[in-house]
Amino acid sequence: MLKIEDMHVYYGAIHAIKGVSFEVGEGEIVALIGANGAGKSTILKTVSGLMHPRSGSIRFCDQDITHVDAYKLLRTGLAHVPEGRRIFLQMTVQENLEMGAYVNKEVSQADLETVFNYFPRLKERRKQIAGTLSGGEQQMLAMSRALMSHPKLMMLDEPSMGLAPILVDQIFDIIKELHKAGTTILLVEQNARKALQIADRAYVLETGKITLSGTGAELASSDAVKKAYLGG
Amino acid sequence: MQILQYLINGISIGSVYAIIALGYTMVYGIAKMLNFAHGDIIMVGAYISFCVTSYLGLPAWVSVVAAVAVCTVLGIVIEGLAYKPLRGTPSLAVLITAIGVSYFLQNAAQLIWSSSPKNFTSVVTMKPISLAGGKIVVTGEVLLTVAACILVMVGLTLFTSKTRTGKAMRAVSEDRDAAQLMGINVNQTISTTFAIGSALAAVAGVLLCSTVPTLQPTTGSMPGIRAFTAAVFGGIGSIPGAMLGGILLGIIETFSKAYLSTQFSDAIVFSVLIVILLVKPAGLLGKQIQEKV
Repeated sequence: MLKIEDMHVYYGAIHAIKGVSFEVGEGEIVALIGANGAGKSTILKTVSGLMHPRSGSIRFCDQDITHVDAYKLLRTGLAHVPEGRRIFLQMTVQENLEMGAYVNKEVSQADLETVFNYFPRLKERRKQIAGTLSGGEQQMLAMSRALMSHPKLMMLDEPSMGLAPILVDQIFDIIKELHKAGTTILLVEQNARKALQIADRAYVLETGKITLSGTGAELASSDAVKKAYLGG
Repeated sequence: MQILQYLINGISIGSVYAIIALGYTMVYGIAKMLNFAHGDIIMVGAYISFCVTSYLGLPAWVSVVAAVAVCTVLGIVIEGLAYKPLRGTPSLAVLITAIGVSYFLQNAAQLIWSSSPKNFTSVVTMKPISLAGGKIVVTGEVLLTVAACILVMVGLTLFTSKTRTGKAMRAVSEDRDAAQLMGINVNQTISTTFAIGSALAAVAGVLLCSTVPTLQPTTGSMPGIRAFTAAVFGGIGSIPGAMLGGILLGIIETFSKAYLSTQFSDAIVFSVLIVILLVKPAGLLGKQIQEKV
């Protein structure tokens, strides 16, 4: 579904992504794990068109999207829940969801109900200004907002960041549910243990390069991963 | 009684500032730039209106429509040619470009219409209303200006809170990247914002010159700066803030001219601004942005 080949990304003179290739098949949960600064978020930003690679190619559903601008990509079924949630803090929960449905022209009541089924708490708070939500609720809102466009592939950047363990579990349960409902997931996480538990396949990223890949279970039991990311 | 008359005059000129300030504040809020050429769009609007009535002899309302149309297109063209290529560069570069555009418009106006002042005929034909036995006079210009100001503010508030495009503007204003991830075309949104801001500037130009009938290439610069001040005063980025700031500025200016000094009125206005900003750095209605990480 998503195929990245030999992608190189620069921030000015800094070579951030050094020839990364990987793919995400339809119906998979794929995780990208790695330390701070390894380039995980840069990869997602480049895939979603917020940045462009200097060389290499990105294909999504058999279309070349290497140089397509971000705002056009959502229409092809690729949604990106960015790092730090990036919800519209001064807008209400409802308005945030409407923005998520911007490409559909109109907000369908059925879509809202689907989202509220996953996250009942948002329904209670739909009139509230998003900036007043707790961190966990903001993450829920960010995911709901992305769901409003019916994405085929959802890219999640650090959904567990800054959340209490119980909330992390909740968010990961919902990721699994979304996956069961037919959404393909590309997950970027620092919480390697959690990510490997739910991932079909995973890639380990180190300073802009993929150093290891395999199924979630394989990587979780690999010595190198254990040592570097799972704490022995 | 005299004080009431000053208050009415102050609200009237303040309403013009408010309409200009609304344009400043919208462009700042969404494109994150100070469009210092905004004041000169006012001047262009006034000249277009002047030409349509004086040279073509068409009715006043046609001239207003023409001014709005020309300024809207001008706003989009300026944004596309001068500011869009600088997207992503430091804001200082954009600011300097805006000052350049401002001089360009003034000099172009000088070439086309010469620097000698034109006598602008008011677009209002209504007779003034006398109240309290002639002690207070409310002119048609005052009524039209205040009405236009209220209309513009209500219209913009409804537009940004109810329509899809308006909400997209707020989304772009808050977080450009996140807005793109929602499928919002940021360039198009910014272009629309310039179109709206410039259309408002045209309206402000006609109203301004109907009240103060001298029209020359520099007509827009001082009101432009005062309106910018008004926008900062009210809290830049805030629509009600621009309105409040504009009207207060108009009142302060009129009162200082009436009771203190005509020469120093601008100095007094700007001193008040400095004091307000010392106490409330975000402006009167500016949002204290709360962030949760």
